[in-house]
Amino acid sequence: MWNPQTYSNFLSRRQALKTSSAGFGYLALAGLLGQDAERNRAVANEPANALRPLAPKAPHFKVQAKRIIFLFMEGAASQLDTWEYKPQLQKHGGKVGPGGGLLTASKFQFSQHGQTGTWVSELFPHTAKHVDDLCFIRGLHTDTPAHPQAVIQLHTGTALASLTRPSMGAWLMYGLGTENQDLPGYVTINPSANFGGAINFGSAFLPAHFQGTRIADTGFVPNLKAQTVTTLQRKQIDLVQAMNRDLAAKPGAPDQLEGVIQSFELAFKMQGKVPELLDISKEPQSVLDAYGVKPGPAGSFARQCLMARRLTEAGVRFVEICHPGWDQHNNLHRDLIKNSAATDQPTAALLDDLGQRGLLDDTLVVFGSEFGRMPTAQGPDGRDHNITGYPMWLAGAGVKKGFSHGATDEYGLHAVEGRMHTTDLHATLLALMGLDHEQLTYRYAGRDFRLTDVAGNVAHEIFA
Amino acid sequence: MAFNSRLVALVLPALIVSLPTLVLAQTVPSQDAVAVEFFEKKIRPLLADNCFNCHSTNTNSQGGLRVDDRNGLTVGGNRGAAIVPGDPEKSLLIKAVRQTDKLKMPPMKQLSEQQIADLTTWIQDGAVWPKVEFTLPKGDPSPEYARLRKKHWAWQPLRDVKAPVVRAADWARDDIDRFIQASLEGKELSPVSDADKVTLIRRVTFDLTGLPPTLEEIAAFVKDVGHVSNVPDEHVENVLHETKAIEKVVDRLLASAAFGERWGRHWLDVARYGESTGSARNLPYPHAWRYRDYVIDAFNNDKPYDQFIREQIAGDLLPANSEAQRDEQLIATGFLALGVKDVNQRYKVRFVMDNVDEQIDTVSRAVLGLTASCARCHDHKFDPIPQTDYYALAGIFRSTDLCAGVRNKMGGGGLDYYDTDLLLKLGPAKSSENDSATKREETKKALAEARAELQTLADSKEGNELAPDGRQKNVVAREKVAKLQAELLAYSDPAMQGSVAYGVRDSKTISDTEIRVRGEAEKLGPVVARGFLGVIPFADPPQVNPNQSGRLELAQWLTSEKNPLTSRVMANRIWQHLFGQGLVLSVDNFGATGDAPSHPELLDHLAQRFVRDGWSVKKLVRAIVLTRAYQLGSATPSTHMATDPANELVWRHSPRRLDAEEIRDATLAAAGTLSLSRPEASLAKDFKVTELRNNGPEAQRLMAGAVSNTQRSVYLPLVRNITPTSLDVFDFATQGMVTGSRDTTTVATQALYLLNDPFVRRQSLAFADRLLKQADRDDAARVDLAYQWAMGRAATTAEIERTTNYLTEYATAAREVQTPKLAQAGRKAPKRAAAKTSNAQTAAIINPDQVPRDEDQVKDEVIEPTDPQHAAWVSFCQALLGSAEFRYVR
Repeated sequence: MWNPQTYSNFLSRRQALKTSSAGFGYLALAGLLGQDAERNRAVANEPANALRPLAPKAPHFKVQAKRIIFLFMEGAASQLDTWEYKPQLQKHGGKVGPGGGLLTASKFQFSQHGQTGTWVSELFPHTAKHVDDLCFIRGLHTDTPAHPQAVIQLHTGTALASLTRPSMGAWLMYGLGTENQDLPGYVTINPSANFGGAINFGSAFLPAHFQGTRIADTGFVPNLKAQTVTTLQRKQIDLVQAMNRDLAAKPGAPDQLEGVIQSFELAFKMQGKVPELLDISKEPQSVLDAYGVKPGPAGSFARQCLMARRLTEAGVRFVEICHPGWDQHNNLHRDLIKNSAATDQPTAALLDDLGQRGLLDDTLVVFGSEFGRMPTAQGPDGRDHNITGYPMWLAGAGVKKGFSHGATDEYGLHAVEGRMHTTDLHATLLALMGLDHEQLTYRYAGRDFRLTDVAGNVAHEIFA
Repeated sequence: MAFNSRLVALVLPALIVSLPTLVLAQTVPSQDAVAVEFFEKKIRPLLADNCFNCHSTNTNSQGGLRVDDRNGLTVGGNRGAAIVPGDPEKSLLIKAVRQTDKLKMPPMKQLSEQQIADLTTWIQDGAVWPKVEFTLPKGDPSPEYARLRKKHWAWQPLRDVKAPVVRAADWARDDIDRFIQASLEGKELSPVSDADKVTLIRRVTFDLTGLPPTLEEIAAFVKDVGHVSNVPDEHVENVLHETKAIEKVVDRLLASAAFGERWGRHWLDVARYGESTGSARNLPYPHAWRYRDYVIDAFNNDKPYDQFIREQIAGDLLPANSEAQRDEQLIATGFLALGVKDVNQRYKVRFVMDNVDEQIDTVSRAVLGLTASCARCHDHKFDPIPQTDYYALAGIFRSTDLCAGVRNKMGGGGLDYYDTDLLLKLGPAKSSENDSATKREETKKALAEARAELQTLADSKEGNELAPDGRQKNVVAREKVAKLQAELLAYSDPAMQGSVAYGVRDSKTISDTEIRVRGEAEKLGPVVARGFLGVIPFADPPQVNPNQSGRLELAQWLTSEKNPLTSRVMANRIWQHLFGQGLVLSVDNFGATGDAPSHPELLDHLAQRFVRDGWSVKKLVRAIVLTRAYQLGSATPSTHMATDPANELVWRHSPRRLDAEEIRDATLAAAGTLSLSRPEASLAKDFKVTELRNNGPEAQRLMAGAVSNTQRSVYLPLVRNITPTSLDVFDFATQGMVTGSRDTTTVATQALYLLNDPFVRRQSLAFADRLLKQADRDDAARVDLAYQWAMGRAATTAEIERTTNYLTEYATAAREVQTPKLAQAGRKAPKRAAAKTSNAQTAAIINPDQVPRDEDQVKDEVIEPTDPQHAAWVSFCQALLGSAEFRYVR
């Protein structure tokens, strides 16, 4: 009886079949990757897959986006000072709002942009030029108005502490694999150091090779830099491989040997390729200027955007980059100016750059926070958390351009139209990537788990 | 406890314990239609319009108070209960809306006289809040339940099985072998030949201790053939003597401290051991290591498994003959305490019910192979575990205080989460009070004042103004709170005055608990009497003592000889650790969605034998490793591969990759740097109970400590989300989940680790130095010795030749490298302006959600050989440690 719970053990046993040149194991292997017959066949026809768990896998249905870049604004950026123009709020600032508290109008000027006449505040002048390419979802809501749980929920689908779930990127790796086998398929740059930390890009009960690779905003990856010069290290690897091949020739050799041999070659390639990819210094000055790349924390997000483009271009499936510090309980005015200055130009440059390279045709860009902020005041110059209505925007592959789905009430407090829970967002993103969130399951502890648990509706309205 | 106040308010506390559950259920105010209508028409809209934005589940519940739930009002927030049903004058809510006192609500507005009168009436009349409708199902929710209880293999009593008769009579040594042989014969397969002695001692030494055998141990075993000559026709007798030799080895290994360090770790995987809360806010458990040591000692002392389980579930309720035994049993209950916890949970009732769930999940999967926590929200879909069974167990854990030193607090910072009342004191009972009592009271008062001041500053513009010393006033205030907190702790923290452990104790309030509708902590259904799972029916289960939590009886129920799951699950775990896969592949799930056993009769035989031998793990391990089946070679004849490629029938011994700890320990052993002594405590033992960041100074200390540490891997600090790289890359157990079986992945990050990690390079250097110190050996002899240290076998002539050529070529090439350094310079962390860091720290002081992130978790380290010759040896040693043969055992 086959149980996917023992996935990796099973894989290793099946790998034995390859070394002993029996072939039927791959058919059985396919059975663990999904219930869809066609999908199984696709996998079965790719004999090298047993040794390449991240090899591309057939999706459930038509792929609209091949890759995602997620621009995560950690801390909950105030939508009411950026993307959500609420005339009633601007008008009634200082009055008591529905549900209590004093309404506080945005201190920033809003104006209309593009053919669509979309309202954007003065904080995002560069990105505002792209509004006709953006697809807003304005009716988002989530469960917990606290960053730690909401960040974890945004990344893994649930905030329940009693069982950590795999991150969305890990689910994508499990469901789709990745295009470039010489690179990690799931990269997270500058991820949260608290708020669950590694949980947010972890694989939880999925096999470990589906987890995200953490990269610092300086491009540093642990153990990726060769510790001797290439010629010497190649000699050393050749010796290791000679020993490994000796062992492989012995009767009853371990199952995974071929994988071990491949893993060293891949590691060698990655040492050369990944640092090169992350080294943005060789980009032309015009590109560096367009992104606004500069050293130090102020240039962090610009560097991340540029690294994200380079990784995406090289075929990395899912790249997440992060700008923290959007938690304006106080100093709302000052810090919004600072944060938008650090994120607006690079974001716009990324959209430009992807567009010029034709990458927006099959890459989806997602911009947003774990939740939004209140229309009412907190302290003299702050807004508290709001989980009942906030926006994100998407751009690129698979989504309508210059479109807006859903809305909050007149003050921007509650989502009233096109409501989308975090699980709906996840279901929609998976669908754009060609995966059915109800079919993408993994058995653990006697239960078939999903990214969307028992919920999730796809927002087909936004599909191009 | 606070969240019981709903019951306390309605029933005299003394009566709770003895009241039958039905009576309790009826004491809830009758759902008078008029009262409900009054609530829906007057009260709910009033609360929604004026309070929800700051005090509901959807918002950042200011002051910890939510008013969108009756429980939220009666429990209240930081200032205590907001309403006392039946007594408006004692209700804080009424005081606040009258705005005659300091506390004025809602802010910037006053409710009308009528609205205040309505609220008063509502509270006076008992604060009626419409109840969730929920009807308890009568009997089984599905006929499938009865069928499964009767038919599913795992829940049937252990069968007395006789070993089968086998055709070839001279192969089997033990009944275990006969079960294996019979199923092989059924498929017309014969076992492959036995493993050679060098292979066997390497296998059994790793399997029993997690360490490689020493050269002396290998030599002694190979030599040990007794007095029997090697004449072919005395073959049979020869085998007997070989058996004696392996028995000597096995008994030596079972008696070594390393046995508990390996087998204890297997249990720590299952017990989801970790040294921090993990989850949304990661706080350390600085005393968790006591439980780790308890587990290791239990395996070394061969503590009977039933007693081991009883101590972990109810050690605090078991009789103790000495203080040492009492302490040991208290530490054992750490099993229930060390799970993942969301301390940032806003609502205590959710925090408590989440932790109860975590305990139920861990106990049921670890001990019983049952996924009982599926029944938290609804009847189990696959196994006959109704929701009522879940809440029967939940009542037991609900009546238990979880002492992990932490409490829940929304948005807390500093030591806010640390609760010194939730620690178990070890050692002699302290004389109750001393003269520090006055000081403690004074500090307590000062702290309360400082907190109030901080709150005032946080709510006003004044907080941003500068204090005389030039810093922001709210920063100064926050620092003052932190300082007083620390002072108060020094007076009251038992961890600073003696030894403490984590674990559990019975609560002051013992009661059955309500079903939670759809698993939602606040949605109370009918009360369910405490009890156990009906899936394992036996005639006379222990009855829960009404004056205790019921954990003692739960422990007795789990370890009753009539409970067939506990022994089956453990026997299967032991088999898995010796054969690489369980007889039941899904080791943590024996339910309907789990795997059926490949050898059901053998499993029952093992389980029965286990119980009969006094639940002795060592005896069962010994019996299994002495079988012919365990000692098979690993050859793969094509006929066998075609019939049973997965080796489920055990016709050979499948090779396995060493696990993360074994790889690291074997690396240290080869380098001659392994320290076998047990370290005092853990690297995390002095951590303050404040939030840990993945890039913070504590994380850096842990990571650096793990790189330089040379003790056995089981003693490495295991703070959740900050796992040492050497463990993380090789599929270490996911801390926080019951992990009966680890993954074995093969990925490039492992190769990168073996090529570049500072730990590996450091040990390769030590390994090379150890070799080069062998002054009386030439290079060929050194290469041979290196193979023996790393692989446990001599090098072949070809290997020696290849290696000596390699050393020459490498040294030549290294000389030609123009760069002065053989190792490339390590990356320097970019320096940042000091002002930035202090800004970030300031932010963290005001808002605990804002943390600096300009530090990297791991700093590169330059490990340099001294000259090209040296570099060649280091490179060779590292290649050995990176070779597949080093980390596989056949």
